[in-house]
Amino acid sequence: MKRNLKPYVLLLPVMLVILGIFVSGLVMALIQSLGYFPVVGLKDITLKYYKEVLTDKSFLSSLSFSLYISFTSSIIAIIVGILLAYSILRSNKKERMEQIVYKLPIIVPHAVAALLMYNVLSQSGILPRILYNMGIISSQSEFPSLIFDNRGIGIILAYVWKEIPFIAMVVYTILSNINDKLSEVALNLGANKRQVFFHILLPLIMPSVFSAFIIIFAFSFGAFEVPYLLGPTAPKALPVKAYIEYNNPDLTHRPYSMVINMSLTFISIILVWLYHKSFKLISKYDG
Amino acid sequence: MSRLELKNITKKFDNKIILDNINLVVEEGEMVSLLGPSGCGKTTTLKIITGLIYPDNGDVLLNNKSVLAVPVEKRETVIVFQDYLLFPHMTVEENIGFGLKMAKVDKKVRDKKVKEMINLVRLNGHEKKYPRELSGGQKQRVALARAIAVEPKVLLLDEPFSNLDGRLRENMREFVCELQKQLKITTILVTHDREEALMTSDKVAVMLEGKIRQFGSPEEIYKKPATKDVADFFGEKNYIKGTIENNIFKSRIGNFKTTFNKFSKGKAMIRPEEIEIFSKDVDTGLLGKIKKKKFAGDRMYYNILINDVEIKCITKFNKNYNVGDMVSVKIDFNDAVFFKEE
Repeated sequence: MKRNLKPYVLLLPVMLVILGIFVSGLVMALIQSLGYFPVVGLKDITLKYYKEVLTDKSFLSSLSFSLYISFTSSIIAIIVGILLAYSILRSNKKERMEQIVYKLPIIVPHAVAALLMYNVLSQSGILPRILYNMGIISSQSEFPSLIFDNRGIGIILAYVWKEIPFIAMVVYTILSNINDKLSEVALNLGANKRQVFFHILLPLIMPSVFSAFIIIFAFSFGAFEVPYLLGPTAPKALPVKAYIEYNNPDLTHRPYSMVINMSLTFISIILVWLYHKSFKLISKYDG
Repeated sequence: MSRLELKNITKKFDNKIILDNINLVVEEGEMVSLLGPSGCGKTTTLKIITGLIYPDNGDVLLNNKSVLAVPVEKRETVIVFQDYLLFPHMTVEENIGFGLKMAKVDKKVRDKKVKEMINLVRLNGHEKKYPRELSGGQKQRVALARAIAVEPKVLLLDEPFSNLDGRLRENMREFVCELQKQLKITTILVTHDREEALMTSDKVAVMLEGKIRQFGSPEEIYKKPATKDVADFFGEKNYIKGTIENNIFKSRIGNFKTTFNKFSKGKAMIRPEEIEIFSKDVDTGLLGKIKKKKFAGDRMYYNILINDVEIKCITKFNKNYNVGDMVSVKIDFNDAVFFKEE
């Protein structure tokens, strides 16, 4: 019994801090989202704020905008990341490629990545200037608006730039751990290299790729700085909307912000559950 | 069915010679064993046959045509690997049908073939199972069925029974032999197990240090080893130095009649199991003293001193003598193999 409790007792100080902040924040947000905020005179528990927010058009468009950005950037990062990892694996210059590809974008903070995108892709940025000087476009304003646009291209590109190396790193590690002989067996049984990739390697890395997808999707769905710096005025990404609502000087507005936060939390919990499920898929092929 | 020929195959890795001028012919429907210790180049030979590795020199011929330029996926020489290497994300039937699926064989034809294979390797009821749900023997049969399903020109078995134990190993060995005879597939079996090679093959190629030292029928290889290395590979032997004159082998342990008369000075190789011992009352003309004794279940291992020459002898378990006992020894030098002294 004592032995069973020992790890928990040892972890208690850290867990108290982590869970204390996490759980108290979550409970506070839940209480406030239900309309209980006595400091400003809100004392009735109600679902009114949920009803209002969840039927509000701007909330729904923000939710779909956030889902669209996260999904698109994650899918692109997954596809390119897998192809990149596979090409690195087959390349003879593994060490050099790894160092260049992995380390640079991973260590760059998201806010810096957003500024890089702005400097390169905005109509006054480096790329339009180059194209203008090369005579490909007649004026810089001719360059398509990729930043602050309502298709979220700037945001997606920033996420893709940050996430591709992460995916490539995860996939490369898994690919290099898959028994090389399985590919040899497949080739030996008549499969060409393309078939080996699609029928052997891809299905074997898929559970881990799914986990990685959930991680980057959850991050880009809940992250604030990139859509805040590169996003359009409308629709706003959900975390940006939550931030703006939170900063509203009218404190009686706070429950609306908390409902948005609770929605983000709810979706995050689903993602955590899916992440947990994907681990079961990974262990499916063991043994 | 195909005839396979390896011509002067040479392969080096990091300047180390792995295969040194390998020549081998496997006739249609024949089962040949590549027998040798670990690291002697057996698996490399198989990989060269399949096209997974290219030789530095030499040629691989299938039905008298070079296949060196044929890529691995089109060579139709399939290996069954030692560790089965089933695809973990596929069921038994998906594993077996993999090669046919890659060849874009019609699904109905494929399903029929897979069913046939499952019947052949007696895996009915396991079709939907994943490799992790199978025993070692079952995995082995799936790997075998997967290889046979694509109807290879040559089937290559890389130590297929080494991961199985005891009874299962014997059963699988018998099963593979039956299957090979039934389907008449040209087969090469790679093994380090002498008994396995002798029992299963039409011919045996003994491979040592990247060279084929002897190629012949199992009996020939066992009874008439071409070199001392080949003889030693088949277990401990007695080497008795002596000279031959007028069909008499003269040595420190005595003079013996022999039919061999090709050279005058050399060593006579006698297998321990060919030496008989009796109680000293029996007159064999040769007396020895038991120096060491080891019990091995169905056999007894003895070391006997005859005129200060130590002779190894293997008898049935019921021939029980003690260390220090004097025994009569019978050696038939007509069964001996003579090696000329170098």
